[in-house]
Amino acid sequence: MNDDNHAGAFETMVEALRARLTEGNWESWSPEEFDRRARAAFEVQFEACSPYRALCERRGVTPTSVARWEDIPAVPAAAFKHFLFDSSGSDSSVDASTRALFRTSGTTEGRQSRGRHVVPRLDLYRASLVEPFRRGLLPDRASIVFLSLVPSPDEVPDSSLSFMVGAAAERLASEVVWLMGKDGGWVEHASDRVAEIRASGEPVLLLGTALSFLHLVEDGGNALSRLPEGSRIMETGGFKGVRRTVSREELYRDIEGSTGVPRARIVNEYGMTELLSQLYEPVLTEGAEAFGVHRPPPWLAVRALDPTTLAPLPDGQEGVLAFFDLANLGSVCHVLTEDVGAIEQGRVRLRGRATGAEPRGCSRAMDELMSAAGQRR
Amino acid sequence: MLARDGRTHERGWAAPMSGSVGFGSGAPAQPDLEDLRRIIARLRARTHTLRARPAAEIRDALGRVGARFLDEADELRMRALEVLPTEAHLSVPMARTVLDGMARDWTGERLGALLRQELGDPTLLDGLAFRPGDDSASRRLEMAVGPSLCVQIVSGSVPGVGVNALLRSLSVKAPTLLKPGAGDRVLPTLFAEGLRKEDPALADALAVVYWPGGTTELEQVVLDAADVAVVYGSDETVSTLRARAPATTRVVTYHHRVGVGIVGRDAYPQVVREIARSVVLFEQRGCVCPQLIYVERGGAIPPEGFALLLAEALEALERELPGPPSTMEDASALQQLRGTAEMMAGQGGMEVHHGGQAGSWSVLFEPEPTDGPWSGPRAIRVRAVDDASLLSKLLEPLGPHLQSVGYAGLAGRAAELAEALGRVGASRVVPFGALSFPPPWWLHDGRGPLLELLRWVELEGGVR
Repeated sequence: MNDDNHAGAFETMVEALRARLTEGNWESWSPEEFDRRARAAFEVQFEACSPYRALCERRGVTPTSVARWEDIPAVPAAAFKHFLFDSSGSDSSVDASTRALFRTSGTTEGRQSRGRHVVPRLDLYRASLVEPFRRGLLPDRASIVFLSLVPSPDEVPDSSLSFMVGAAAERLASEVVWLMGKDGGWVEHASDRVAEIRASGEPVLLLGTALSFLHLVEDGGNALSRLPEGSRIMETGGFKGVRRTVSREELYRDIEGSTGVPRARIVNEYGMTELLSQLYEPVLTEGAEAFGVHRPPPWLAVRALDPTTLAPLPDGQEGVLAFFDLANLGSVCHVLTEDVGAIEQGRVRLRGRATGAEPRGCSRAMDELMSAAGQRR
Repeated sequence: MLARDGRTHERGWAAPMSGSVGFGSGAPAQPDLEDLRRIIARLRARTHTLRARPAAEIRDALGRVGARFLDEADELRMRALEVLPTEAHLSVPMARTVLDGMARDWTGERLGALLRQELGDPTLLDGLAFRPGDDSASRRLEMAVGPSLCVQIVSGSVPGVGVNALLRSLSVKAPTLLKPGAGDRVLPTLFAEGLRKEDPALADALAVVYWPGGTTELEQVVLDAADVAVVYGSDETVSTLRARAPATTRVVTYHHRVGVGIVGRDAYPQVVREIARSVVLFEQRGCVCPQLIYVERGGAIPPEGFALLLAEALEALERELPGPPSTMEDASALQQLRGTAEMMAGQGGMEVHHGGQAGSWSVLFEPEPTDGPWSGPRAIRVRAVDDASLLSKLLEPLGPHLQSVGYAGLAGRAAELAEALGRVGASRVVPFGALSFPPPWWLHDGRGPLLELLRWVELEGGVR
């Protein structure tokens, strides 16, 4: 396939998929449909994305050799730090408005420690994020006031999280108040607007990272105390390079104390820059039983794999998590993460991050140092 | 704990993962503040009696306990070998090899050599004396005084480092409080137990206590109480503790270091086996472990070929010195490493050899330096260099973190290379076979380990 043909085929697939992801009827997805779409996506990605093709060829896998989507090689999440995976086949200088380059918020100082995810078609990302967000956070209403501790996409254009909140707000927010700037400071006049909203009694959706909530709680949280009844919270975990750690339950208790939003209305979102789809704890619809399990949308297949053999593990058994995300059509769909968890009836129970927890002695694995050695400076 | 490295790209909530391993009843308990203050008072009360004992007597008592770890029939050694594989997460043959290599230096003879190497005359610890060989007109009497209380805060999971630390400070008559690394708790505890039987008075001057690194309250108590505090750990740990120590506490630090290797063009293929051993020993947790090996072009073994030979040697070592049972963390790190490496290889950026599912080793040959998630169990990078003399320039960026350099096949060029490498930061240039187990008198990070602890007293005009 030449480049023009590829780009054309890619566009056709994006359009078809975009329409499909926007449909609210998740029950209509069959395993056969997922498999068909997954193999079609692989064909496109194998063709257009040379580092990915290199991996597949080394492992003796080609689109014709793949019988089921599970046979498709997964890209290690760490590789996003070292490669730009672009499967669109289009010249990246074209149509800059439809593309984005998101970066992970890795905090290791030094070069290239942040992962990068090329999103050649932002409208596909938009299509994929709204319905899971709605089901996870607004199952009971058409719209709500957003109060966001996540900085706006204008402030942090390379954050996939900021983009997500912005895109969800376009569709589901009656109003959005951006509370935080990218430097972590409170936006001017935001408190005034929050006070008016609180006085109105209108429920809100408060969104933030674990770290932003930690800061909120530590600062006393006065600006957001006693949020109106019916309010809910989206919390997304990870303390990103901060030394302090607290348990999730402690944090949620403190959030409840600061905001008045009960524990049962705090929803954890699980997502990563490398995946365009997100998973939510369905606590608003299923209650406390859903604490700790994340529900994927039907276009995101989740598996727990044996970390050595990469064989899929039975339900309930912990392994490294692999995701096949059809929304990643523009980059690579199949991603092997460093997260550890188990699958329970199609949902993910996350245990933690396999960080190479082996305590090192006086030698740290000094990737970056070693890479620096011998570099032309 | 949540990850604190560059991989924190995930936004879901990660529950704490337990990284602790089970260990036997020999492990030290974590003291509370009151316990710790009591322990410190007990140790300080021993300062004078300890200083009154001849250094040679202390050395001999320590050596007799140390030697028990080499005696196959001795209960201390047997108990150590029973617990080490789990505690330090090493295979049984590796735990044995590590204990043999470490305990070799715990005998009276080796400790005596350390004292002589650093002090010239170890009786300088017992009272005023002339330095040996000092015939100058400015001759003066000198005495070496060890710390009144030495606190050793060690980190990591290299078994034996804690015992090395306590031997150093006890040898200079310092009551010693040792906080071992998480994966090195059993050996110092067993040593203390052996010392109690051997020499109860000396044992009273030693306490082995454990707390997880970053337990600020306890750390502060010992930093305030110590005459000399020795801190091993990451750059971050070391600088944090140094900043918190009072002006009157001397802080001796051993921050993170790395080892590298150079294979000169005169190397014989047989040396590859030795190199492979140095790579796997301690499972690359030590500063003496090479993480990167340069191979000189123009020799009998071309760099690409060396990478292949090294891969074969690592494969062979899987039987003799197997790795520990794979953890979820290590297996996951390997998947990330190999997958990324295979992509780079597929694009011509490197060559990768690895042991497949069954083997924990990976050799990455880099025609040009690459960035990647290259830290994993038994992962070694190999690069080509036109001439060994270029090495010091290449390694300059590593400077403050560079420690050991293993070499082979340099013919007459080792001294020249050592001078150049020393100037950019290396403190130890040794044949690969000697890389893993430096002798007790090695210049640890370029400094005499006993001299770092000592204070000197001089007397002029009082010649006896």
